[in-house]
Amino acid sequence: MKRREIGKLLIANRGEIALRIIRSAKALGIRTVAVFSEADARSPHVAAADEAICIGPAEASKSYLNADVIIAAARTTGADALHPGYGFLSERPEFARAVAKAGIVFVGPPADVMAALGDKLSGRRIAKQAGVPMVPGAETASPGEIRAFAEREGYPILIKASAGGGGRGMRIVADESQLEAALEAGSREAMAAFGDGRVFVEKYLARPRHVEVQILGDMHGNLVTLGERDCSIQRRYQKIIEESPAPGLSASMRTKMAEAALALGRSVGYRSAGTVEFLVDGDNFYFLEVNARLQVEHPVTELRFGCDLVAEQLRIAAGERVSDVAAPVGCAIECRINAEDAANNFRPATGTVMHLAAPAGPGVRFDSHLEAGLEVGTHYDSLLGKLVTFGATREQARSRMVVALGEFSLLGVMNSAGFLRDIVASEPFARANLSTHFLDQFFSKWHPAETDGLEAAMVAAAMVASGAFGTRNGRGAAPAAAGPAIAARRSPWDELSGFELWRPR
Amino acid sequence: MRLRRVGGGEFDIDILGHEGSTVRARIDGIELSVSFESIADGAAMVTVNGRRYRVFGAALRDRILVTAGPMGFEFRRVEEGRSQAAKGLATPELCAPMPGKVLRILVKEGDEVEAGAGLLVLEAMKMETTLASETPARVKRILVAEGQMVDHGAVMIELSPSAQAPSHPESAPPES
Repeated sequence: MKRREIGKLLIANRGEIALRIIRSAKALGIRTVAVFSEADARSPHVAAADEAICIGPAEASKSYLNADVIIAAARTTGADALHPGYGFLSERPEFARAVAKAGIVFVGPPADVMAALGDKLSGRRIAKQAGVPMVPGAETASPGEIRAFAEREGYPILIKASAGGGGRGMRIVADESQLEAALEAGSREAMAAFGDGRVFVEKYLARPRHVEVQILGDMHGNLVTLGERDCSIQRRYQKIIEESPAPGLSASMRTKMAEAALALGRSVGYRSAGTVEFLVDGDNFYFLEVNARLQVEHPVTELRFGCDLVAEQLRIAAGERVSDVAAPVGCAIECRINAEDAANNFRPATGTVMHLAAPAGPGVRFDSHLEAGLEVGTHYDSLLGKLVTFGATREQARSRMVVALGEFSLLGVMNSAGFLRDIVASEPFARANLSTHFLDQFFSKWHPAETDGLEAAMVAAAMVASGAFGTRNGRGAAPAAAGPAIAARRSPWDELSGFELWRPR
Repeated sequence: MRLRRVGGGEFDIDILGHEGSTVRARIDGIELSVSFESIADGAAMVTVNGRRYRVFGAALRDRILVTAGPMGFEFRRVEEGRSQAAKGLATPELCAPMPGKVLRILVKEGDEVEAGAGLLVLEAMKMETTLASETPARVKRILVAEGQMVDHGAVMIELSPSAQAPSHPESAPPES
């Protein structure tokens, strides 16, 4: 039960979460060290920290996933604690172990707890032993046993990556004819994403909701829950909208889920922030997995409970006790704005931010690393920012979100804000008709509304094409040098640029 | 000039003139008058039918990016004689929409494919994306191999109009 002052914290992450962690650390008077890849040398988190150190080239495997270099950076800068954020090395027990071995406090659960929960098969065993309800599943990775399971439980079944999270390598198999191909593809994707091709199988629920419970524990044996989050709005198992509380959940259900999460957490001696994920199917709930780290969607919990989960993690890592949990109020909703073309099969988008208008107003929080000049590439995940709104009621939070997404404007990187706005403004969302199939059901062929702003945009595009209007691209190439497609043909009207008002100054 | 909105259709637009901050334009034969007040380089307040929009615009290599309020638009200049109508083919080649690895090639040279048929599976950002033909087409040439890394914009497959299509590029009359 040793207490250990944290004087300097290394943040082993990038993007919005690195900024988020730096903010809380600074507010606690902790000095901060950022790490960055060569691609991120001019990223905001690098400037936000007190010190910054380059850890390698753009490829994640050579920088943000390079444990040795990151631990060396912590040693070099004299950091006495390390926060992994989410993704990257955050759920690698061998990394947590190596950090501790280097005499540095790992801000997260103990490595052994992480190892036990991180593996899907052992995580399910632990949950089962703690009395948490389970979806019928097969704890095996052998194709033969998966086939036998499917015949016993009936199709559809779900095949998942054993090592994974976030839905990578997941496959729904509707009938036997698809089994072989799904096993092969699931295993290959799992191998590409996690370097571990093991898969396992469970019964597929028809219209479930994804509801998860936030837990927080300290090294003195205290473990608390901070409500739940409904994260049912997902695309390919990637959450895009989350909210707290989960709408329409009965009080008894809420209590049972919290108790199940606590029982599981206690059985492994959970410490720091973690999330126990469930699938809710009517009045039943089933264990999904534990995310032994801070979640992307943690801000919705923070707004309702008036707490700072990163600050709690840091205090707990320093040996302090979990703070008293305040009674939750209101409702909070988060939208993840991604760099992708929602109207074009969600193709990943890249580019340089040339203009940004960030939403603001009562009950609006925007966690993001976006700023003018930022280059968005394909090396890392596509999250550009998390827009979170709070209201006394769900309806207030929801309508504030519609307004806030309407204020968001980003030139240079295609993004999902317009898609999110249409979802949040839709009737099914307003009625909280939530399930993990929400998008397939209501937004499978989404296209932006044709009318809003289109004529203004067309005229502006013609003005840009004629060189009469428009900023230069981020790297300073003038439109005239921007390729024959734009510069080649000039009509007499293109000489409009003689008109002073529109002239770039 | 002719522009194509990415994810939308093609249209003809001409700037007919200006007076003060008023810009007169013709879009597909319909004239309209908008107020176009430049605020700063690349920023303007545009008023159409009484609605005001904060508009930002930029030229980026072969693309024109515009935001009007929260809406983002992407346009491309359409070269005369290369429009969709003239060739029956929106894009004569399949380019990599992002850097990635060619996982699988689903067609072979000479294949006739339907609109929406998968041509190639690209792995980028740890996701498998199947790239499809926008229109019926014939696979003319395959320029990549499975396992190959490709850069953004790299031409991967050359297409020609489907043999069944009414107009053939060589025999197509010039665009009127």
